[in-house]
Amino acid sequence: MTHHRPPDTTVSKRNSRLKAATPDKEFMITVSSLLDEAWYQRYQHISQLNIRSSIYDVTTKCNLRCTGCFFFSSGEHLVAEEEPDPAAWEAFVDREKERGVNLAILVGGEPTLHLERVDAFYQRIPTYCATNGLIRVPRDRFPDMMVGISLWGDSETEKRLRGKDVFTRSLANYRDDPYTYFLFTITPQQLGKIEPIIQRIGDAGLKVHMQLLSNDEDAPGFGWTDELLVQVRGEMDDMLDRYPEVVISSHYYHEVLTTGKMLGRTFGWSECPSVTEGLDTRDPRPKRLIRFNRWAADLKSKHRCCTSATRDCSTCKDGAAHMSWIMVNKRAHIRSTKDLQNWIEVYEMFAKLYQFLPW
Amino acid sequence: MIAESTTPEALLDETAQRVSEIIIDELKLDDVTPSTFDADLDLIDELGIDSMDLTAVVLVLQDEYEITIYEEDYPELKTVRSIASYVLKRRTA
Repeated sequence: MTHHRPPDTTVSKRNSRLKAATPDKEFMITVSSLLDEAWYQRYQHISQLNIRSSIYDVTTKCNLRCTGCFFFSSGEHLVAEEEPDPAAWEAFVDREKERGVNLAILVGGEPTLHLERVDAFYQRIPTYCATNGLIRVPRDRFPDMMVGISLWGDSETEKRLRGKDVFTRSLANYRDDPYTYFLFTITPQQLGKIEPIIQRIGDAGLKVHMQLLSNDEDAPGFGWTDELLVQVRGEMDDMLDRYPEVVISSHYYHEVLTTGKMLGRTFGWSECPSVTEGLDTRDPRPKRLIRFNRWAADLKSKHRCCTSATRDCSTCKDGAAHMSWIMVNKRAHIRSTKDLQNWIEVYEMFAKLYQFLPW
Repeated sequence: MIAESTTPEALLDETAQRVSEIIIDELKLDDVTPSTFDADLDLIDELGIDSMDLTAVVLVLQDEYEITIYEEDYPELKTVRSIASYVLKRRTA
């Protein structure tokens, strides 16, 4: 005997596999039972992607020293010597590819200081390069590599935190580049000042994604309070609503990032998905990124996680860690139409940021 | 465990029932019982089961049926019925 859900305009009836059971277990919740045709198509599209990312320190050096940069403040630049041999980098990337990695996220230091190492990845694996934007990636050599430019605020804030107006320079370097976006790390100092930054980026024909500063260096005035987090969530939502062609984000991501909560669970060490596989001794082991490692520039050492090992995980506001937290918990989101749609939107956002989907 | 005197179809159904129980137990699925678990449902696409989930199920299956399940065979394990079929194949291998 087959039973169907009561009429519900938000739910597809395409799933003919719903079966009767005990009264409290009458309906098996499946993806098909929660999504209409349009959402189901979106779900199927991203389900094919099977993204396996890892993070690589391309170098320990940078052409800036920004207040708030965990790489230097936590001493990660001292963990290992750089591997100097280009052939060793190429062989390493081949091994990573064999390990199943299909997305290389290049960080630093400043990766553009060693384009031959960037090239070792780019020739072998879909590659994303994080940069401060001071050096323009030559597009004749890397025509479609996704570039993410770090941004700390308006020109005044950039001067204060980074020593110079990096924003104006990077905007000029990458104007109208279809494979570039700004990764805007919002600080409490930016509240009320975000819109002009979004407008400048949009006017330059570029995209922007937002995350929040984790105040690793306890810089005065840069710590978050509950009240400030409510305020910044409101501004992030407002920017997404008003500049949907410029802002690559989702409301659910804003909610999870600012509250640190997802489906009643709290972000922290016991939940974080972005811990290096071989260094993950957690028991019970939470849902995590499969095959994820963060490699140091000697190509032998590994960092604990995608950000600073000295960071207090309970206050970590790393955007990638939070979106990954959502993404690896797919099954937990298959409980209501809205929850699953939220999950799909975050996955699509991630896929756009790393070029698995077009803008 | 697998009964000795039964038809291949009955054996497959019986194994599928046990596989359902293991999946429900290991993944703490609270909206389904073994009798309502559609043996042909795509576990990955429709239930959101990922490789970590599958590994948890595989560990129990290996112990219970005294078989080895290779990671490269995971793509074969898409439904309860295909898992049951795989288990029976490995038992006789």
